Amino acid sequence: MPEHFVGKPIVRVDAAEKVTGTAIFGPDVVLSGMLYGKILRSPYAHAKIKSIDASRAWELWGVRAIVTGDDFPGILGGEAMKDLPFLAQGKVRYVGDPVVAVAAESLEIAEEAIKLIQVEYEEIPAVFDPREAMKESAPIVHENHHQYQHIPVMKPVPNSNIMTVSEFSKGDTDQGFAEADCVFEDTFYSHSIQHAPIELHSVVAQMTADGKYTVWVPNDGPHRLRKDLSDALKIPLTKIRVLSTYIGGGFGSKGGLKLEPVAVALAQKVNHRPVKIVNTREEEFSACVVKHATYLTVKTGIKKDGTITAREVTSIWDAGAYAEKSPTVCMQATAASAGPYKIPHVKLKGYCVYTNKVIAGAYRGYGVPQVTWAYESAMDVIARKMGWDPLEFRLKNILREGDENPTGQPVHSIGVEECLKKAADVIGWEKRKNAPAPAESYKKRGFGICCAAKNTKTPSGAAAVVLLNQDGTANVVTSTVEIGQGAKTIFTQIAAEVLGIPVEKVCVSNPDTDLSPYDASTTSSRATFHMGNAVKEAAEDIKKQLCNLAGEIMGCPGDDLIAEGGEVRPKDQAGLNKEPLPYKQIMMKKYGAGGTILGRGFYYPEVKTNGMWSAPSIFWMYCAHAAEVEVDTETGKVDIIKLVAAQDVGKPINPVTCLQQVEGGAIMGMGAAMSESLIFDNKGRMLNPTLHDYKLPTFMDLPDLESFIIDAPDQNGPFGAKGIGEIVVAPTMAALAAAIEDAVGVRIKEGPLSEEKVIAGLEKLESGQEAR
Amino acid sequence: MKRVPIKLKVNGQAYVFDAVPENKTLLSLIRDDIGLTGTKEGCAEGDCGACTVLLNGKTVDSCLVLAVEADGGEVLTIEGLSRDGNLHPIQQAFVDEGSVQCGYCIPGMIMSTYGLLQENPSPTDAEIKKGLEGNICRCTGYVRILNAVHKASEMMAKESK
Repeated sequence: MPEHFVGKPIVRVDAAEKVTGTAIFGPDVVLSGMLYGKILRSPYAHAKIKSIDASRAWELWGVRAIVTGDDFPGILGGEAMKDLPFLAQGKVRYVGDPVVAVAAESLEIAEEAIKLIQVEYEEIPAVFDPREAMKESAPIVHENHHQYQHIPVMKPVPNSNIMTVSEFSKGDTDQGFAEADCVFEDTFYSHSIQHAPIELHSVVAQMTADGKYTVWVPNDGPHRLRKDLSDALKIPLTKIRVLSTYIGGGFGSKGGLKLEPVAVALAQKVNHRPVKIVNTREEEFSACVVKHATYLTVKTGIKKDGTITAREVTSIWDAGAYAEKSPTVCMQATAASAGPYKIPHVKLKGYCVYTNKVIAGAYRGYGVPQVTWAYESAMDVIARKMGWDPLEFRLKNILREGDENPTGQPVHSIGVEECLKKAADVIGWEKRKNAPAPAESYKKRGFGICCAAKNTKTPSGAAAVVLLNQDGTANVVTSTVEIGQGAKTIFTQIAAEVLGIPVEKVCVSNPDTDLSPYDASTTSSRATFHMGNAVKEAAEDIKKQLCNLAGEIMGCPGDDLIAEGGEVRPKDQAGLNKEPLPYKQIMMKKYGAGGTILGRGFYYPEVKTNGMWSAPSIFWMYCAHAAEVEVDTETGKVDIIKLVAAQDVGKPINPVTCLQQVEGGAIMGMGAAMSESLIFDNKGRMLNPTLHDYKLPTFMDLPDLESFIIDAPDQNGPFGAKGIGEIVVAPTMAALAAAIEDAVGVRIKEGPLSEEKVIAGLEKLESGQEAR
Repeated sequence: MKRVPIKLKVNGQAYVFDAVPENKTLLSLIRDDIGLTGTKEGCAEGDCGACTVLLNGKTVDSCLVLAVEADGGEVLTIEGLSRDGNLHPIQQAFVDEGSVQCGYCIPGMIMSTYGLLQENPSPTDAEIKKGLEGNICRCTGYVRILNAVHKASEMMAKESK
């Protein structure tokens, strides 16, 4: 029997490097002759640049380049909409907008130099709330933004701050609401937070004499970065080489154009020396990227028997000063904004709006945490008002195998019902009314349970090359970046499984866009599914070639042979009496002087568009979280007693790496719900851009956490696997808010779920008002 | 900036610097001058613990210690834990328990664990949480790190018998 590697808890292949401190991350890159870059950023949210005087900075020894937006007139970058100058041109649009960059012999000199640069600004009116920004009277963040180049699905509204509107409808919601016995409408607010990976953003860029740029960077989309830079600089793809380091956590923040354009701008001016830029933690918070603050209005029609007849969701996304990935966040999340429920009539609309705030972009879940917060909170509000069990209400309407989801797509591989049931079972949902009361009479106990569904960007391509070496080992070459998700381990297992060789004989390399083939990005929970399929195909290609080569040696057709367990042998041993040939021997006999077998794989899902603005998702992810809390009615403090997370994984390639995502996601979701929040003053300045004032979960916040993986094999996934990395954070806030309401009757509709809001709600309850 | 000479030992090896700026941090000395990049910077103000090393046997945030303060001292970094190609039991426990994801916080987390287990060889859950609360991990949710510390404690107890 051949040994199996898929489905096993193989030890992560990157673990040894990481526990010894030898893994190279972005800030660890050091090159000879390297200069250090520093950015002077705007202190104003919205201002015209009147003049820039860098003469005093030039006098400082060791300053090698000073660049401004004027050095790159008309050069604009951006994946969805080309609205991002390398450095501000004419005006600044948020506090933190890059204005001038310096390259110097040391970081200290660069820091000193930017202090000596004088910029004269003329402040102009700014807008900070996306609902205000949608009004006709609002200051315009980007004049004529509809004239920017943009992807076809975007619909910019001219002479406004609305960069795009995403719409989807199914059936007739007017009819659906007419058929309903009750209609509920509520508005929920999802607050802005920051990704806060522990690794700071960094880049090293060099322009060599042939006009080629090489960029060493922890960016989650090396080929996407190559294309973004190529588009902006109007040079061929071959003139840009992106080399990926390990990424020390990204959660959506480490993609697109961040420090790279500034580094490239400096690299043009320093006589071919490399330039390194590393963010400070303060820049990481206030001048990099954040999760969208979002207003979501959910209107739901229900029958008295608990059936949902119609749902309308309108969302408004605070995109900040530049488009970044906002247009596609708004688009994908809008499509997912009705939830994993069977609803015949659906109307979903998302407005993506510029404001004079730090850029918002992809945050783990790509807008789905925000929409989940709204539709799951709406489910609980309805269940409570109707006197229904929240779990039963969900199960009454939950999507099941073969149902049509709210975007009109029939669903397969759907484990959401099982996730809900598992989470309910472990949290003790049935017995919750009999749970012992907290010892202190001023504390109250409550339970909540929520689920979520997420799409993946579709279609998108992933290519892999597997190289079989003379000694029977294999190199796997892809452009998937190891960001902590375990991709290198997953590809190792897939290649080992298909080739039938031990995992120790497989080596997965970090991307290099000169050498590793195209991949859309290491995002959207797509690496295991898309690149996993490509690696599988490439390894199968090698086996086919090995059979043909062995057939030549054995004197029989390759089709009569099978490659398994590291050797090629006849399919029918009795009918064709030949000795099995190990891969190494085949290589020796055919290519004695040296050679390699190249296996090719390219996965690009074929999907039918059905008149929607975008293609349906090649797979959907599902999960459920349940929470048990104790609320202190005197202080408003919420103690999380237990969290349960159940995740539909399709089929696990590696159960441990799956559980790693589920556990980490639940705690990240908990932090987003309870303690993390970005605070701005009335001038658009962030007030808490440090890890001291911005409260990430620490070891002390760890509750009793139980995590489970649920099998629901996907017919298109490699070995039935699906992606999971983003959705794992989505339902936590809604589950915790439901548990708080269950405990003390206070329904919080605006995140975070702070002590102040609990107390304010309790005071309202005491005074006889509805607590909200 | 005034510059001063310092001598120190890092991972048992002697280093001599003729002119270290007084405002240089120990973290910068370790990473930029000695070239050991396993010790990470995450915040530069003592909030995240990624830069944790041992100075004279005690864990410190090396971003908050000036290089001159380490003059005459002994520093242990993540690179100094494994011996003859064998992982230290703490490192091995982190590998075995699946405690590593992106890995950026891990050197600091392991050094804090080293410091904790030196002072308290068999800590309880609560003592581990308290001992490692200054090390922030954004990926793991801490669960498997907790397991690894227990396992490392057991492994080290067996070794010392």
